[in-house]
Amino acid sequence: MKDLVNAVAEMMEDDAKNLTQKYLDQGAPPMEIFEAYKEALAIVGKRFEEGIYFVPELILAGEMMKTASEMMKDLMVGEKASDSNRLGKFLLGTGEGDIHDIGKDMVAMLMDMNGFEVRDLGVDVPAQRFSDAAKEFQPDIVGLSGLLTLSFESMKQVVDALKEIGMRDKVKVIIGGGQVDEHACKYVEADAWVTDAVAGVKYAVNWMEK
Amino acid sequence: MIVIGEKINGTRKPVAKAIQERDAAFIRDLARRQFENGASYLDINAGTLPKREPEDMAWLVEHIQESVPDAILCLDSANPVALKAGIEKAAKTPMLNSLSGEKFRIDGVLPLACEFKTELIILALDDKGIPRTSEGRLAIVRNLIEMTRAGGLPDEKLFVDPLVMAISTGTGNGNISLETCRMIHEEFPRVHLTCGLSNISFGMPLRSVLNQAFIVLTIQAGMDSVIVNPEERELRAIMMAAETVLGMDRHCMNFNRAFRAGKIGPKATA
Repeated sequence: MKDLVNAVAEMMEDDAKNLTQKYLDQGAPPMEIFEAYKEALAIVGKRFEEGIYFVPELILAGEMMKTASEMMKDLMVGEKASDSNRLGKFLLGTGEGDIHDIGKDMVAMLMDMNGFEVRDLGVDVPAQRFSDAAKEFQPDIVGLSGLLTLSFESMKQVVDALKEIGMRDKVKVIIGGGQVDEHACKYVEADAWVTDAVAGVKYAVNWMEK
Repeated sequence: MIVIGEKINGTRKPVAKAIQERDAAFIRDLARRQFENGASYLDINAGTLPKREPEDMAWLVEHIQESVPDAILCLDSANPVALKAGIEKAAKTPMLNSLSGEKFRIDGVLPLACEFKTELIILALDDKGIPRTSEGRLAIVRNLIEMTRAGGLPDEKLFVDPLVMAISTGTGNGNISLETCRMIHEEFPRVHLTCGLSNISFGMPLRSVLNQAFIVLTIQAGMDSVIVNPEERELRAIMMAAETVLGMDRHCMNFNRAFRAGKIGPKATA
């Protein structure tokens, strides 16, 4: 399915859709098609990191993948739909006092495309809601997004809340946003920090594959 | 165009460091450079934690107004205590950044603006976030202008920000902001319109070119102020050119004087 991988990686929306249909008509297993999309996505992510692709390419890749999932939906019952096939669970939100959602939404999309079951709590989320959701959802990774330096404080509160319910050692915590750095990561007591969504996905996938 | 210089912002690392270490020379220089490059207003965002912010704001105000006494300071915070500290330190009535439809800003920022009769930036968002339509944004602004009028603030003191969102994440985002500008300009002809320009180009290559294209369109839609890095020489020329070709520059004198003074166009070689 090299042609499909190429079509997606080169942003050929129509070709990608037609090729997906062609393979489905030929009886190719949906999981195989899904793998081709994932391969393409890795190329897109790499090009983003290299400064060849930008945010619109990430979003278009996401849309192509969504279209394909729609086409395969009925065929994939029992395959992708069962959460046991999922790579892991990812709980996500922007901390209290911050309403920025571009980065967070991109992370949600990319995590989903990379096989995570994602629960997105939205923006301006108090620590209590994070810990309630963590108890119920039992995530492997908690992602905290925030553009404002003020949101470091609310990120820290989330980590404290996770400690309180005894879950801090059971999850990885990753923080992301334009202003985060090593210093913020230490202050928040997170496990990793990133300034773009693609880098965040890399960490998450690595953690799950260990 | 009324240029509000954006660089004294504690969310930028060198500025955060200068605030932390009380490096007054760095802050003064940043203020002076922006003012000399045409920013008549200087945004001041301490960007520190609420506990420290009032003290940091007062310190910034003190040094910036000594460095550029003719600039108007634009105190940028959601924290009323920090705003108050800045207002009390300021020699000239500052501008406040900002009011929005969020309850805590209506409770915290609006009373200060009315009490001290400050100029005020108004953001077209509320507790539910940023509306996806220009009608939704206009409704929030209309509601807020009703409040500022009731509080005795004349429309001339208001700078409404229609909010600019990244074109990379939604190709309708530019048009929504432009449409909002036009609607506000028509309904409230005496209020100013301003925006954080660079949001439009987030996540894109050649950001400065996109910023330049967009500012021209916003000027036609009624924008008369902008929050930018005033040291971007090309942007300054584009803004003046747009005003000139739209007939806002009497006898084209503003443009030509800026050219003769070397403020726009090729840099004179020393």
